[in-house]
Amino acid sequence: MADQIMLGKTARVTGTIMPGVVGEVMVSVRGGAEAFHAYAAEDGVTIAVGARVLVVEYHPPRTVFVTRL
Amino acid sequence: MIPILIAAGVGIIFVVGIVKLMWRVAEPNEALIISGLRAYRNPDNAVAESLGFKIVTGKGVLVMPGGQNVRRLSLDLQAAQLSVDCVTQQGIPVGVRGVVIFKVGDDYASIANAARRFLDQQNKMEARVHNVFAGHLRAMVGQLTIEDMIRDREKLTALTRASSGTEMQKLGLIVDSLQIQEIDDPTGYIKNLGRPHVAAVASQARIAEAQADREATEQEQIAAALKAEAARNSAIKQSGFQAEVDEAAARAQQAGPLAEATAHQQVVVEQTKVAQLEGDREEQRLQATVRKPADARAYEQTTLARASRDAQISAAEASAQETTLVAAAQAESTRIVGDADAHARRAIGEADAATLAAKGLAEAEAIRARADALSVNQDAVIGQQLAEQWPAIVEAAAKPFGDVDQMILLNGATGIAELLTQALSQGSAGFQLARSLLSGQSQSGQAQSGQAPAGRSPADNGSVSIPAPTSAPPAGEPDK
Repeated sequence: MADQIMLGKTARVTGTIMPGVVGEVMVSVRGGAEAFHAYAAEDGVTIAVGARVLVVEYHPPRTVFVTRL
Repeated sequence: MIPILIAAGVGIIFVVGIVKLMWRVAEPNEALIISGLRAYRNPDNAVAESLGFKIVTGKGVLVMPGGQNVRRLSLDLQAAQLSVDCVTQQGIPVGVRGVVIFKVGDDYASIANAARRFLDQQNKMEARVHNVFAGHLRAMVGQLTIEDMIRDREKLTALTRASSGTEMQKLGLIVDSLQIQEIDDPTGYIKNLGRPHVAAVASQARIAEAQADREATEQEQIAAALKAEAARNSAIKQSGFQAEVDEAAARAQQAGPLAEATAHQQVVVEQTKVAQLEGDREEQRLQATVRKPADARAYEQTTLARASRDAQISAAEASAQETTLVAAAQAESTRIVGDADAHARRAIGEADAATLAAKGLAEAEAIRARADALSVNQDAVIGQQLAEQWPAIVEAAAKPFGDVDQMILLNGATGIAELLTQALSQGSAGFQLARSLLSGQSQSGQAQSGQAPAGRSPADNGSVSIPAPTSAPPAGEPDK
């Protein structure tokens, strides 16, 4: 159920997502915005800060996989 | 009716009270952890089902007293102070002081994780986090340089997520922020890091200051020069105007006296003219009254004088002519007389000369004879001469007595005899003296001996030369 809340949401990258580094995205959820650890859904993709991404996978409690919109 | 209402009211109040006792509300910053009867039957919470307890956030819930247990888990922000001595990537020892701000995650999974770990020890949460994070911070600093710590926040947060994120998720916590508050730098690395820039900035500041100062000074000097120039121009103009004012004032001041003087001058000119005219008139008058008559008189006198002079000249000429004629006549007569006289005198002179020549020859013969006699016997001649002169000598000796009025002789006749003898002895003494003199003379020069008596005889007694003067006057008398 929580998966359904998170999936398909658009998020904003606040920490660079790149291989070997834990990125960060801000997601609007539960009436507020929360920061989640983010990894790229595809291998070897680097997503810069400020990019808009789509949450494609949610790993509770605080990890998401994103793909560039 | 009223009792029914009251009973209903009491019943309502009772019910409300019961509900109030059973109703629990989860405030925004907390989660209710409900465990016990039917807690697992919450259809909304899959996690809770698995765990066997119910998590309620942001709403109220009825709790069955006795059957269910409610605990509150704070979702508030919490901070843990960190102080770690560590080594940077470059091997520089630093002391890092920071703060980590964390909270329990808002999702049910995080709340469940946290509830299971901290529900009874929420006060110790900070200490737990501190212990965990001290190690993480040390690891993070080991991957950073001091420059990164100071400047690269992105890298710091990325490292925070990478190193501590997973571990914190296990605790149901999320790290909102990690701040490095202070870096204790015992080696002075940071200070030295900034030094070149500080020096450059200071240098630029000094340069800019000096430049600004120079420009300001230049502008000030230019302004001062312009001010001085303006002051000079103003002073010059003021002086010029003042001079004009002074000149005008002086002119105005002098205008009165000048006009007066001019008027006076004109008066004087007119007076001078008047005086001149008067002088002319006086001159004319004098010409008429004085000069003309004087001229006439002068002319008269001149004419008269000239006539008189002519007359006198004529008279004088006549007189001169007359005198000339008289003088010529006199001169002629005088010349004739003189000629006659000269003839007469020449004849007389010649006669006298013949006489004198004859007399001189005679005397020369006499003197020669006497000299011959003297050379033969001196004493005889001298004695003869003394004898001739004896009366005169005695008279000279008696002369002192002649001046005596009365002679008193103390020894009578013998006195007189002595006196005379004395006087005569004086005479004989003179004789001796004369003799010695003569002998001296004869010794000095025999040639002069003949003339010597002739030369001194007029001075001594004139016995030889007496005849010559007595004979001359008779010869001279006929000349006159």
